[in-house]
Amino acid sequence: MNFSSRLRRIPFWSWVWFILGTLYFLLPLYATLDFSLQMERDVIGLKAYEKAFEDKDFIETFTYSNLLAIATIVMSIILIVPTAYWIRLRLPEARRIVEFLTLMPFVVPAIILVFGLIRIYSSSVMIPFTDIVLIPPLTNYKFGTNILVVAGYMVLAMPYMYRSVDTGMRTVDVLTLTEAAQSLGASWFTIITRIILPNIRAALLSGALLTFAIVVGEVTLASFLGIDAFGPYLFLLGQHRAYEPAALSFVSFILTWIAMGLIQLVTGGQGQTTGAH
Amino acid sequence: MAYLSISNVTKQFGDTVVVDNFNLDIEKGEFVSFLGPSGCGKTTTLRMVAGFEIPTSGKILLDGKDITDKAPNQRNVGMIFQSYALFPNMTVSQNIGFGLRVRKESEATIKQRVDEMVGLINLEKHANKYPYQLSGGQQQRVSLARALANRPQVLLLDEPLSALDAKIRVSLRAEIRAIQKSLGITAIFVTHDQEEALSISDRIVVMNVGEMEQVGTPFEIYNFPKTRFVANFVGSLNTSDAEVVDPAKGFVSVDGVKFTAAEGTENRKKGDKVKIAIRPERLSFASEHKKANVVDATIENITFLGSVVRIQVKIGNTKFNMDTFNNPFLELPRVGSKEQVTCSKEAVLVLDE
Repeated sequence: MNFSSRLRRIPFWSWVWFILGTLYFLLPLYATLDFSLQMERDVIGLKAYEKAFEDKDFIETFTYSNLLAIATIVMSIILIVPTAYWIRLRLPEARRIVEFLTLMPFVVPAIILVFGLIRIYSSSVMIPFTDIVLIPPLTNYKFGTNILVVAGYMVLAMPYMYRSVDTGMRTVDVLTLTEAAQSLGASWFTIITRIILPNIRAALLSGALLTFAIVVGEVTLASFLGIDAFGPYLFLLGQHRAYEPAALSFVSFILTWIAMGLIQLVTGGQGQTTGAH
Repeated sequence: MAYLSISNVTKQFGDTVVVDNFNLDIEKGEFVSFLGPSGCGKTTTLRMVAGFEIPTSGKILLDGKDITDKAPNQRNVGMIFQSYALFPNMTVSQNIGFGLRVRKESEATIKQRVDEMVGLINLEKHANKYPYQLSGGQQQRVSLARALANRPQVLLLDEPLSALDAKIRVSLRAEIRAIQKSLGITAIFVTHDQEEALSISDRIVVMNVGEMEQVGTPFEIYNFPKTRFVANFVGSLNTSDAEVVDPAKGFVSVDGVKFTAAEGTENRKKGDKVKIAIRPERLSFASEHKKANVVDATIENITFLGSVVRIQVKIGNTKFNMDTFNNPFLELPRVGSKEQVTCSKEAVLVLDE
């Protein structure tokens, strides 16, 4: 059956819903693009994009947020992959509890999280009943604040990262592959890095992309912890300018699509490899 | 001292005893099969040898060294799984070389050993393919090569042929046996398929509900089953309630029809209730050649099974199956006709009720 005859077999109402859905997503995007191109009166041009990219703060905040996103992704992988792996391997009964915990960021808003972090880490953390300082006030210096921000972002991104990793692990026979590797002499570290991670790379990449999107656009944590991140920058820009935020929004859409395309490109054959047992 | 010694091994999960006081000595180069129905503890025993389960009590010694509590990656044991368990992200060569890389062997050694193993399983043309590009049989051969590349002290095979179709199963089991013999490697093979176990093993351990029922060569297990379970589980079998008539002479009675058994009655008393068992292929028509037991029978049914014709006969009130080799000139009796059926004294196995 060729493509056109296959298309003809799709019912009328399916087409209607498909077109409505597509318009729902594309119209705002088109409106944003159209608006961003009209910075100069009666001229369609890229002036808004030029101005946005010329701004020194844009480059600085965008680079900084990217670094925070990378740190969050790396730390999330280090924390979540072994956790999800161990639950699947040895503690399946703990799965429901961990799933519930990973959903908490949907229930507890970011504002609560950031005030909790500030409340605890703006003063020294002492060893109980002693004068020994375990952790100095993290909010008092830049590196400490960065640690708090990354930790906060890890919490916010946890539902997405955990679910991506867990779904990825569901597609491979984790237990048998682990036992096969163990019988060949592999250590836990070797098993995770050379067997598990490569076989869930598609899931990791989608988790990483979602984490990236959350971190780069996040405002609450960054604002209250007083860091110069891209989220607060966009927020301020939106309050004072009209065309540049539209231009940057459109650019971020394009960047997201490029990232998704890259994921498809990198993980193209993985569905087949993991499916063959 | 045995090469692999499993002594008084018991495994409990909670209150459930899965393996109960298992004792077995395996010599170097021996091929031993664990045979039994699902849940009999055969895989758990294998997994204890592999190190994936720790025995609740007992010891496992390999070449004189206690490996009972050693981690799986510290025992030099190769394992083959039913689901192949090839690493999907690696090619055939990379899969085979994985264990050698983990051991940090030199690249030259890895290449030489991988080439040797790929040759051993005749997959030279597929060395750079990924597992999903191979058939089930090919994947299992890669799994075998991967396990052998490390030169393990013991090769453990956990139902490796179950996921394959019948023809591949037969050819691959012959291949596994040939490779095992050529390398002289000690192997434990877990299966619930009696034909597989009978055809491939030096010795068979028949297991049931966590206990060893019988250990012996395939010939012993098939021809001289010691328990009713073994007799029933291995091969087809006619069983019937019987009563000892004359213990000294080996006479037993089935519904008033007298059979003579070569052994099994000497330690019993007259009137003892027993079971007798006769393999279908040990029964034949008395018109061909009379043996020690000759009894009257009625032909109940005839079933054509390809190489074998199965004839159901009624002796007294009990139905027995009788197997005879098919040939194009075979003259079969009519259903309902009366015939005489015969078998030797040795064919009549007397079992506890």
